[in-house]
Amino acid sequence: MGVSQEVHLGEKSMSEAAQLDVERDLDLGWMDRRGEWEIQARPSKNGLTLADIQIGDYGDPPVVSENQTGVPRGAAKRDGSYRIGAYGVRTKSEIWLDNASFLYEEALQRQWSSATDIPWHTIEPLPDDIEQAQCAMDTFLTEVEFVAGDVPARWVARTTPDFFEARNVLLCQVMDESRHMDVFRKRALANGGGLMCATGGTAGVVGSIDHSRDFTEMSSRLHISGEGAVLTIFRLGELMAYNDAEKAIYRLCAQDEARHVAFGVMHMRYMAETAPERHEEIHCYLDEAERGILSGSQNPAGQFTQTSESMAILLGGGKANFDEGRNRLIAIRKRQLQEYIKRVKSAGFGDRFENGRSQVPELLAEIAA
Amino acid sequence: MPRFPSEQWFGAVAAVFNGDESYQGAGGGQCNCRAGVVVEAPNDAPADVFVLTFEGAECLGGQPADAAALADVDFYMQMPLADWQEMLGDIQAHGHATADHTLNSLDLNREEGLATSVHGDQYREDLFFRYNQTLQFFFDASARVKTARA
Repeated sequence: MGVSQEVHLGEKSMSEAAQLDVERDLDLGWMDRRGEWEIQARPSKNGLTLADIQIGDYGDPPVVSENQTGVPRGAAKRDGSYRIGAYGVRTKSEIWLDNASFLYEEALQRQWSSATDIPWHTIEPLPDDIEQAQCAMDTFLTEVEFVAGDVPARWVARTTPDFFEARNVLLCQVMDESRHMDVFRKRALANGGGLMCATGGTAGVVGSIDHSRDFTEMSSRLHISGEGAVLTIFRLGELMAYNDAEKAIYRLCAQDEARHVAFGVMHMRYMAETAPERHEEIHCYLDEAERGILSGSQNPAGQFTQTSESMAILLGGGKANFDEGRNRLIAIRKRQLQEYIKRVKSAGFGDRFENGRSQVPELLAEIAA
Repeated sequence: MPRFPSEQWFGAVAAVFNGDESYQGAGGGQCNCRAGVVVEAPNDAPADVFVLTFEGAECLGGQPADAAALADVDFYMQMPLADWQEMLGDIQAHGHATADHTLNSLDLNREEGLATSVHGDQYREDLFFRYNQTLQFFFDASARVKTARA
């Protein structure tokens, strides 16, 4: 089959089509180079989800990926293509979780807008100490959410496209954290206050998340210990809220955060089941994370002065009720630790609480006493 | 007029919830869980137990069950009848839960929490937080259901 194409374009055209001004034969060889064919995915009750297209080769991620060229999973490989990504995460157990497709669809469908889904009109002037305490928390959470968005973004780029389900969940997390950053910034600027002094909350334990050498190391620090603690704070935010806008902010952020924690728990569960040789290594990551939990120095509900004081003021209803607020804060700390222990158990590493390796149960008993 | 708690009441609320697309946005959306509702009766009478099922964008209603069924749900929410009625009264009065009557606030303000589980698996208990806005929308939908007092 032949075709004559005469293209008359101006000299300044940037289109490649402008170069096709010679008589030539069509090259339809690409039509024979394809992945598995005659695939007919069918929508399920929730639409055409990622789970619905896990068909044949397309639904079969490799145990170890040799893909360094960005070829989509299941597509035909292109001869002679060069590397486009320095994908360090190429072993399935390093990043996989069984419900990544599910979490991704859920993340897509449960998005919200900080501009229009928060009843900003319900915010009214607050006493100075309450407003300052709220703005201190807003400043801290903006800092922390920056890390929570930044870190997974780095790991997305390091992960082979063959594990795109897990990558997609992380990309949604980056979007979620962006929204968290902006919603706390908006709150700080919405009621006559503003941002306070940076807390430094991203130094030390929180900042060290970004030094992780391994995805599971990062996930155990970020998703299990870090976001687990922040999830408790978001949930408890309703107790610190003084209007429906703040309640909605905390409630909606908590939903997103629970999804991120779910990623971490399910990834560690997969790791526990498929990579027993890495159990001790993962316990070491948890040891490190727990040192931060035990010191409480970077935990807004722990001994981190700027945030623990501001939370106590918000919980108590002002500086004058600081002690009452502090007692409620201690109850929050107790819940943080209880939930942490149960999440680690759910992830398959609960033996550390039975064999004396973890000191979190002792701290919990101390707080309860 | 359905009485709370009853299968008819949960069915009527589910019909309102399923018919209002606004509940699928603003932090609502796909929700997949089985949640128990335990209504403690006064005078040490046996509690009423219902199992609420959410699949995708729909609530399939609340089925009466016995206490043993709580072992199978992801989490369950337990309060005395009077507290459930106070929460529903607030929702009726304002069109949605306010102040300390949201599910999350009720959970936080109670010594043992509102939501818990038999299995103790925090991953499944976390579904109460992960789908909290949907659960709240569901009970908020009861503002449009005339309810008989038990």
